[in-house]
Amino acid sequence: MTCKSIGLMRILVVEDDPLLAAGLARVLGRCGHAVDRAASGIQADNLLRNTLYELVVLDIGLPDIDGFEVLRRLRLRRARTNVLVLTARDAVEDRVHGLDLGADDYLTKPFAIAEFEARVRALLRRTSAPAGPLEFRGLTIDIEVKRVKVHDVAVDLTVREWALLELFLARPGRVLSKEQIAQQLVNYDDALSLNTIEVYVSRLRSKIETEGVKIRTVRGFGYLWEAESV
Amino acid sequence: MLSFLIPALLLLVGCAAVLSYVLALHAATTAYDRSLLDPALDMAENVRLGANGPQLDMLAQEQEALLYDHEDTLVFQIRDGAGDLIAGVPDLAPAPPLAPGQRAFFDVTYNGKPLRIAAVRAATGFTVQVGETLNKRSRLVREILAAEFLPTVLIALASLALARTVVAHGIAPLARVRSQILARSPHDLRPLDERNAPLEIAPAIEAFNHLLSQLRDSNAVQQRFLTNAAHQLRTPLAALQMHLELLLRRELPSDVHQEIEAMHGATTRATRLANQLLILAKAEASMEQARPKTLVNLRSLADAAVHEWVPRAIAREVDLGFDLADASVWGDAVLLTESLNNLIDNALRYTPPGGAATVRCGVRSPTAYFSVEDSGPGIPQWAHERVFERFFRIQGTVGDGAGLGLAIVREVAEQHGAHVTIENPTGLGTRITVVFAAVTPEVPR
Repeated sequence: MTCKSIGLMRILVVEDDPLLAAGLARVLGRCGHAVDRAASGIQADNLLRNTLYELVVLDIGLPDIDGFEVLRRLRLRRARTNVLVLTARDAVEDRVHGLDLGADDYLTKPFAIAEFEARVRALLRRTSAPAGPLEFRGLTIDIEVKRVKVHDVAVDLTVREWALLELFLARPGRVLSKEQIAQQLVNYDDALSLNTIEVYVSRLRSKIETEGVKIRTVRGFGYLWEAESV
Repeated sequence: MLSFLIPALLLLVGCAAVLSYVLALHAATTAYDRSLLDPALDMAENVRLGANGPQLDMLAQEQEALLYDHEDTLVFQIRDGAGDLIAGVPDLAPAPPLAPGQRAFFDVTYNGKPLRIAAVRAATGFTVQVGETLNKRSRLVREILAAEFLPTVLIALASLALARTVVAHGIAPLARVRSQILARSPHDLRPLDERNAPLEIAPAIEAFNHLLSQLRDSNAVQQRFLTNAAHQLRTPLAALQMHLELLLRRELPSDVHQEIEAMHGATTRATRLANQLLILAKAEASMEQARPKTLVNLRSLADAAVHEWVPRAIAREVDLGFDLADASVWGDAVLLTESLNNLIDNALRYTPPGGAATVRCGVRSPTAYFSVEDSGPGIPQWAHERVFERFFRIQGTVGDGAGLGLAIVREVAEQHGAHVTIENPTGLGTRITVVFAAVTPEVPR
């Protein structure tokens, strides 16, 4: 159910714990992706040199060269492969370091499968050409032609509302702060106050929210896109 | 030390007083006895042997002049060899028998007063006694005593004061070391400063530092063990958790589903416990290994927490809100993040569905703070101190934590010189605040 709208991808799982690696491979394999596994940094590095992967799920703690080194070498080769870094929960430095080295996202262990799937989906969507419109419960979004249908009825969105909607779609499962939204939308409007953003959001809500799609307010902070895929 | 010195000095002063008195008395007695002998000898020379025996051949005025003294009253008495009175006062007791030509001095009581007597026995058999009251002798004793005793007392007092000063001065470095030790946190095992210590206690400090270094080593071993153990536990637990989740996605008979769900819950708890033990070990170690402190904006820590905790709050149906302002402190970002995570985790755990929790941070000059408030059942007053103990849990509460969350919060606060307060702001729910010294970002320490 969660595999739809993303094409089949080649994914490398770099994780030295066999049980965890097997679990990750199984989660990813269920969507039909081709999943390879590497249990060490050297092995991962070799695979990455010879095969083009759309996504690498990269553990930092590896027996030989660590995940950072694998990532550094990957980026040295200017490969555009998406990298999802897995770090220990107590290692904020790892997270920051990983993002500096060019990781696309990070996840702290242990994580729920749903969380892992959401991140993977978001990363894969970046590379995949959208395979048709996005289908949510009661809402269809065709990004290419900028068309939105609520229960099969076309809805008109303003330029700003579109920009806002695209922001949410680009970061599913992530909370967007009002400041982030203001920064992203500044191209469309010169002076964006935080109050204006509330106005945009409430307009967008009234147009596209359905029984399966919701823009949740995170009190005092921002918004979270919650949509059930069909 | 002083408590021994004071009685010793008092005893010395007492002895000096007695000695002075005896010496003064002796001096006074010897000097005045000699001058008392003169009138006695004069009298004896003026006794003539007449037909009726010896007679004093002296006019009354002469006697008076001889016995005149401006301080004391003098009396005399002359008795013949048979003991019969020849001249002078009759009521003075006869002198003890003396050999011819012999002189003697002794004390008697005359008319109820003490009297010093000089007695002379002439070769012809009669005895002359001259008695004198003790006024000038007593005065002399007093004068000598005053002249000798007073300086002694003054010297004693001065010695005492001096001893006090010297002792206090000698003890001062010891007191410094003492306050240094008392001010220590039990986790601070760095060696004591021995540079300013006086020579006498340097070896003691050295020995103490040796003990500290041994403690440090054994602590480090223990911490390495704990870190490794927790770390090693974590990966299989994460794998276990993931596979249980995969199982739960399958079509399963409901009783099997329930049991796997219970296993999943237990695995999650074990994972959390391993994480908490790890962070606790890290926090404790950081005191000694002095993990580098950097300028940390509490707001960016809270921003990061938003992404981690909002989905969990939604899953628990708790309205997790934020009220964040910039607040810079010197700190360890990893430990501070863990501290905040534990506060939020607790708030979500103890707030029933439909409740709310709010994360705040900001500056209340000169302090910076972060706080987490929830609308849960609250922490009873009696437990406000105890909840910070490791593995302490309030009986009958709903959460399934191990009781390490607040211990971590306090441990981390201590590392940062911060303090933690618990309030029940509205009578319902709990607000826990960690208060730091604020840093103005432009002027690093």
